[in-house]
Amino acid sequence: MHHAHIDKFAYQDSFIHRLDSRTKFAVLLVFTAVVISLPRTSPGILTCYAIGPFAILVWAKIPLRFVFKHILLVSPFVLVLALSCPLYDKAPVTVAFGPLIWKTSFGWMRCFTILAKFIVTMLALIALVSTTRFNDLLNGLQRLRLPKLLIVQLGFLYRYIFVLIDRAHRILRARAGRKLRNLGFKTELRIAAGMLGSLLVRSIDNAEHISIAMQARGFDGNWRTISKLQIRRADYIFAIAAAFFLLVLHFFVKPAVL
Amino acid sequence: MPKAIELRNFSYSYPDGTVALSDITLSIEHSQRVALIGPNGAGKSTLLLAMAGFVKGTGKAFIDGLEINRKNLKKIHTLLGSCLENPDDQLFMPRLFDDIAFGPLNMGLEAEQVQARVTDALRTVGLVDMADKAPHHLSAGQKRAAAIATILSMAPKIITLDEPDGSLDPRNRKNLLKLLAGLPQTLVIATCNMNFAAVIADRAVLLDKGHIIADGDAKEIMYDLELMTEYGLEVPTALHSKNKMSR
Repeated sequence: MHHAHIDKFAYQDSFIHRLDSRTKFAVLLVFTAVVISLPRTSPGILTCYAIGPFAILVWAKIPLRFVFKHILLVSPFVLVLALSCPLYDKAPVTVAFGPLIWKTSFGWMRCFTILAKFIVTMLALIALVSTTRFNDLLNGLQRLRLPKLLIVQLGFLYRYIFVLIDRAHRILRARAGRKLRNLGFKTELRIAAGMLGSLLVRSIDNAEHISIAMQARGFDGNWRTISKLQIRRADYIFAIAAAFFLLVLHFFVKPAVL
Repeated sequence: MPKAIELRNFSYSYPDGTVALSDITLSIEHSQRVALIGPNGAGKSTLLLAMAGFVKGTGKAFIDGLEINRKNLKKIHTLLGSCLENPDDQLFMPRLFDDIAFGPLNMGLEAEQVQARVTDALRTVGLVDMADKAPHHLSAGQKRAAAIATILSMAPKIITLDEPDGSLDPRNRKNLLKLLAGLPQTLVIATCNMNFAAVIADRAVLLDKGHIIADGDAKEIMYDLELMTEYGLEVPTALHSKNKMSR
């Protein structure tokens, strides 16, 4: 079965693609921390911060349609949080954007800030995973001494999520082929529980087999891989450019906008 | 010289009491190609697991003269490579290269040696250009070949394969047969496909309900129409046609 993989553009070649995963991850981490720490009522400044990841995506030739499609995919979770803000914070506030001045509430300001922060950080995250092979990313995280267990779990998640999705699709197809009438909410719920149970049992079965395959190849609890990662001059240039971009925004653009 | 595999009165029952293997006595010489044949539920896969030390039963089991026990298990896994039925279980790393390097790295080999073994294994199975691919991007035939490469990179003396021809189209099955035919190792292959077994094996062991029913020359056993029919198996098509023709 065909799946749209999040890292399907990671196998392209560009300056950004060739950077060490550790450099890109460190820059993403700092960028995300800076964006999250921006005042909750300043959606305007976030457009300036979006320039960075947007430029990287364009430079790495990642189709913007793909980027926005993935942002839309995960947006429902944030939308619920953002849209609840205007309900509990109705304090009035006057907003100015260039020559335009209008009145709104702090709740709506918060709502737009949350959405803008989400979009900007997602742009940065997609820029990272679309220009870095997942395996290199895991190797980078391992070299950055992130917990081994977390890396192993991320690796398994990436490897088996599609196997699980395929299996779920097959179960749903089998159900659709035999469901000839409306069964009512309660029965549907019972069937759904059965399907989830079946998926769980089969996943446990898979896990047992994977454990056998790992032990058969000498796995003793230590995760060993060969890493070809290397910090080059391009990585220093990229890190310095990213730092310069963030400092300019912080000391010159942010005071002017806020 | 010790036998490649030796089981003496080996029995195993599942936790619910169902007998999976009953009083199995079997010895396999080095470089033999043995097909474990039998209907579904005969105990073929369990026997392969027993050979790799993954099921603990009663009786004795030896790999290349080394008794299968907790102390020897790591050494046994360098002598005997197990290829599971589902390649998705065998290929668990995000990148094919790392999957094939997984065994050699756990054996404590240096990075250069690992690199050389991975390249050799990929060349043997014809997947040199696929090293950087994620396993879920491979076709069924490529996954099967890659699963065998994960074992070959450890350079074991013995290879066990569980239903290696499952879900393969005729072209991929032919490629797999060609690959297996070229391997110098002792091969133990569990299969229900008699056409596949007839091509690759020089010895057949027929199992049913955990018992060895017949053990001997592959052709003699698989060409025995009465025996095959009794245990719900088929005579290999090529041979069957030959029998018909002779009549």
